[in-house]
Amino acid sequence: MVWVETILNGIFLGGLYGVLGLGLALVFGVMRVINVAHGDFIVLTAFIAVFMAATVPGIPPLMIILPVVVIAAVIGWLFQTVLMNRVIENDDLIVPMLLTFGVSFVMRNIMLETFGANPVTLDAGQLSRASIAIGELNLGVLPILTLGVSVILFGALHWGVGHTEMGRVIRATSDNPAIVRIMGVKPGRIYALVMALSLMLAAVAGVLLAMRTSFTPNSGMDRILIAFEVVVLGGLGSFWGALIAGIILGVTQMIGFRFDANSGLLYAHLLFLAFLIVRPNGIFGSK
Amino acid sequence: MISLRLLPIALAALAIAFAPMVLSDGQLSLGMEMFVVFVICSMWNFLAGYGGLVSLGHQAWFGVGGYSVFIASNHFNIHPFLVLPLAAIVPGMVALALTPLLFRLKDAYFAIGSWVMAEVFFILVQRSDALGGITGMPLFTGGLLGATIYAQVFWAAGAVAIAVLLLSYLVLRSGFGLGLMSVRDNETAAASIGVDVKRNRRIAYAVSAGGVGLVGAIYLIPNYFIQPGIAFSAEWTVIMTFVVVIGGMGTLEGPILGTLIYFALRQGVTNGLGLPGSWYLVALGLLAVVTMLVAPKGFWPLLRDRFGLEWLSVRRPYPRKN
Repeated sequence: MVWVETILNGIFLGGLYGVLGLGLALVFGVMRVINVAHGDFIVLTAFIAVFMAATVPGIPPLMIILPVVVIAAVIGWLFQTVLMNRVIENDDLIVPMLLTFGVSFVMRNIMLETFGANPVTLDAGQLSRASIAIGELNLGVLPILTLGVSVILFGALHWGVGHTEMGRVIRATSDNPAIVRIMGVKPGRIYALVMALSLMLAAVAGVLLAMRTSFTPNSGMDRILIAFEVVVLGGLGSFWGALIAGIILGVTQMIGFRFDANSGLLYAHLLFLAFLIVRPNGIFGSK
Repeated sequence: MISLRLLPIALAALAIAFAPMVLSDGQLSLGMEMFVVFVICSMWNFLAGYGGLVSLGHQAWFGVGGYSVFIASNHFNIHPFLVLPLAAIVPGMVALALTPLLFRLKDAYFAIGSWVMAEVFFILVQRSDALGGITGMPLFTGGLLGATIYAQVFWAAGAVAIAVLLLSYLVLRSGFGLGLMSVRDNETAAASIGVDVKRNRRIAYAVSAGGVGLVGAIYLIPNYFIQPGIAFSAEWTVIMTFVVVIGGMGTLEGPILGTLIYFALRQGVTNGLGLPGSWYLVALGLLAVVTMLVAPKGFWPLLRDRFGLEWLSVRRPYPRKN
């Protein structure tokens, strides 16, 4: 029974990992840039959530997500318009990535100086302790809720990109930014929109993750690495692949945690490296 | 022409040789650090600027080099400098062995993939009881270094710095260097004219790892203690990346200029403005971000083109038409 619980908890956690990866994959799919600062934006949104919970006492924890998502969208839009769009037209894709690396480092250290290095948790109150018993299983309500949110986000994005007018423009910009310009689309605006969307996803995952585990300004590093592994294992352009990859990594982490309590992300990283050997194009990619 | 270009390097070598006679221990320590930063940045630049491989996990080799020397010196109970070659050989070999895995990832994927690898190294060392775990382990043979330790590490780091500069210049002007740059510029075209793409990159990665490991050990020896948090600190890669971006990627002079800017910034922010801790790194990061926005190629190419400077350029003139 303990094992079933472990695996189920891994699945719940993995859903969140999937969402982390989804935001990263979205930006990479459209702009061909890995946003190294993705993890630090996630941590930043979590700090904003903690700050809000402290300023508005008694606010239901899940209600915090809404304003944080709006703030994240604004941050993403600004980040893209003020910084990224200036280098994105560069033929050399190294520069945009290094720019995000620079932003990531600056953000992390400013957060360290402002909030200190002590672990912080977002108190979800009653919700974090609530659990339901199914037979002999004892499952937390919050983890189940997070998996539900993850699946909804995946579905919404899948539908949004595949079946709406905006989704079509985003896909077209991803295919050929020069041609969509002729059709009257400004690629820079689409990029800003995509970055905003990516950070909105990051904010939801970041806040939910902050309710589950404590974090520090340095946690951004773990977040980006997991998000990256989700993207590589899930294969690009595959929404559900990312969800499955996230779940596999989440389950691996939870099982590793059972065996040895302070393994952190070690086993998830090792699994990722092992997959690189046998399936370099992702779990669902061709060999 | 060659001799004239190498004159500044010869003068620098002479200065390094005699500097310990006039400099204090603190100044020697700072000088050593400058050489170390210059070498790790040159090695990162060799890989990224000439080989086209951006590694965000290069701190792994700094740590592996350091631990190799600490372990070997403790084990055989000999002067750490006698086992110093291991600081280059072990990271070089481990890097070579990992290339089949890492090179499955391309471009940005390689960058983050190497970071994951570095993180795994860090966690494994941190959890290893034999290596002292999270608290690290002492250099039991530290006493063998005697009172002149700062002069010794200053000379060692200085010698490596001069060697790296000279060798980079020679290697990049050789056929291998040309092959490496052709792979960076266009992989398919390079392969089609017979350049062994994979082999070139493998060698470049191993050499780069070995160079970083070598000075990593030199830097850590005078601490008499090695800790995973310092030896495998991601800050090393941050310094490499930012210094090279600011100085000018793909130029030999870039890391020199970048290193000078880095130390000027560090002294200025920490001692000048009196800001503690990591604020100088924030300043460095901001400067790197600004550099990428206004001068994506870095500041050396800017100065070079503005004032027509040519020092250690590996560019060659086009063959003349008759």
